[in-house]
Amino acid sequence: MRIPAVLLLLLAALAAAAASAPLVAPLGAGDVPALLEPPAHGQRIVMVWALDCVYCEPNMRALAALQGAHPGAVELVTVATDHIAERARISARLAAAGMQAYRAYAYADAAPDRLDFLIDPDWGGETPRTLVIRADGSRLALSGRLTAQQLERVAPAGP
Amino acid sequence: MSRRLARRPRMPMSHAGRTPPFATPIYRNPAMLRLLALLLLVLPPLLAAHEGEHPSAAPATALGASAAFDGDGRLWLADVVDGRVRLRQSGDLGRHFGPATRVNAEAEDIDHAGENRPKLTFGPAGEIYVSWSQRRPKKWSSFVRFARSLDGGRHFSAPITVHRDRGEATHSFDALAVDGAGRPLIAWIDARDHLAAMQAGQAYAGLAIYYAWSDDRGASFQAERRLADHSCECCRLALVRDPSGAVRALFRAVSGSDVRDHAYALLPTDGSAAQASRATFSGWQVAACPEQGPGLAFGAGGVAHAVWYEASEGPAIWYGQLDPGHAPRHMLKLGTAGARHADVASSGRRVWVAWNQLSADGYTLMLRSSGDGGISFGAPRTLARASVAASTPQLLVHEGQAYVAWNTAAGFQLLPAERAP
Repeated sequence: MRIPAVLLLLLAALAAAAASAPLVAPLGAGDVPALLEPPAHGQRIVMVWALDCVYCEPNMRALAALQGAHPGAVELVTVATDHIAERARISARLAAAGMQAYRAYAYADAAPDRLDFLIDPDWGGETPRTLVIRADGSRLALSGRLTAQQLERVAPAGP
Repeated sequence: MSRRLARRPRMPMSHAGRTPPFATPIYRNPAMLRLLALLLLVLPPLLAAHEGEHPSAAPATALGASAAFDGDGRLWLADVVDGRVRLRQSGDLGRHFGPATRVNAEAEDIDHAGENRPKLTFGPAGEIYVSWSQRRPKKWSSFVRFARSLDGGRHFSAPITVHRDRGEATHSFDALAVDGAGRPLIAWIDARDHLAAMQAGQAYAGLAIYYAWSDDRGASFQAERRLADHSCECCRLALVRDPSGAVRALFRAVSGSDVRDHAYALLPTDGSAAQASRATFSGWQVAACPEQGPGLAFGAGGVAHAVWYEASEGPAIWYGQLDPGHAPRHMLKLGTAGARHADVASSGRRVWVAWNQLSADGYTLMLRSSGDGGISFGAPRTLARASVAASTPQLLVHEGQAYVAWNTAAGFQLLPAERAP
């Protein structure tokens, strides 16, 4: 069938936009162990954030830059503590922060604070919370927008 | 769209059959309809990134609610259903509730997640005052809204926006109290000064606290005034009438380089300048949103009992007696890992503190009480458990007895703080 040019253009624009809107997956209690499992190599950075949090988006961008500098050694994952019902807002905010490339989750547990506890029992829920899980099983957890000094601690040792 | 289609006269089949596929209107072409449906599905979140944010259906985990006893000892509960503040009354301490009143007839995007919740209090002549934070489409923009009832909750006034400032910026985390003269006062977190500083190319740590009061039983509010610069962005305020009848606020402030301790201030209503004093001294330095505000209650001798959260040496919730300008007296660490969202109440020498304790199984509602004005506390006791979402516990005092209002996804509970004799 023939498709009018205007619709084709619209489709192309949509395809581009859809590619830039990150898909946000639900995170339940059963998904937490896999999220915290040490990666096969390098390190996984899990950045927990919230829609209300003004310090989270700068932190995301800093971590994305860090990941970009160490593409083979760092896996970056974001987790929104807002309920998955807020998926539209979450997805839009991630897209605006340029986080399209990264795996993204949002809380989907019946008891959301319990997810906080399962992710990191030694955390009071403040966001952003940055968790570094290294292949050797060691971990680092930091609250707040990371300072330059903290970003150095988060960065992998190698290139 | 289907209704429009149904009204259209059907074209003769023979005519439609001879027509090239795209000469027919789009609405008659199944492929085009599917495409349009896809567009409608995909576009909203994409547009949201550029033109403000679209409200979502409130998740079942948004449980912000307020309970309060009126002068006749009846319990009232304000919560949010489908964009409306719902008010109900109970004559049997929360076991049963009467029919609901809608406070706002028109639905609004009411923020009742995290520490945001509709607020409820009473005036001396039985006035019912209700306030809430209305989310706006622009990111982090919100307005403080207010309505009153002068006929015992049968009817509510049309909601008003409390502040004169109509800038699309944060006006949120409203807190509501009635002073000794019977006037309702509302304080909230306000972004206007932060935005003005940014536009002038200057730095401004955190946001500000503004407040306003009504001299006409909530028909209107005086122009708002600034209570303090540099508040934290997302922690509830504690707003309480002190024994002199003045209203005081305790809130998380930002001082120095992202130090997030608390400040304490009286809300002047005589034209004098507000003066906030530092009230906690943990030195917790973090550029983060703790989303855990303090609690405040006055006891015998005007002692200001407070509870708060900080994580300078790991997460901790604390009890202490405020001594503005100095560290609180009789500080007690109530909980560490997993302890969240404390509240405090007092009656004479009795003091109660309640908080949520998290574990891998869910929430446990904890309570400790003191009979000596907060000098010492009994052992922690478990009042209730929940495996589904639970909101911040709220301590209420009625006729010298304390109760904990606890709203969970499984329902509302009012739990006596003391065991039955």
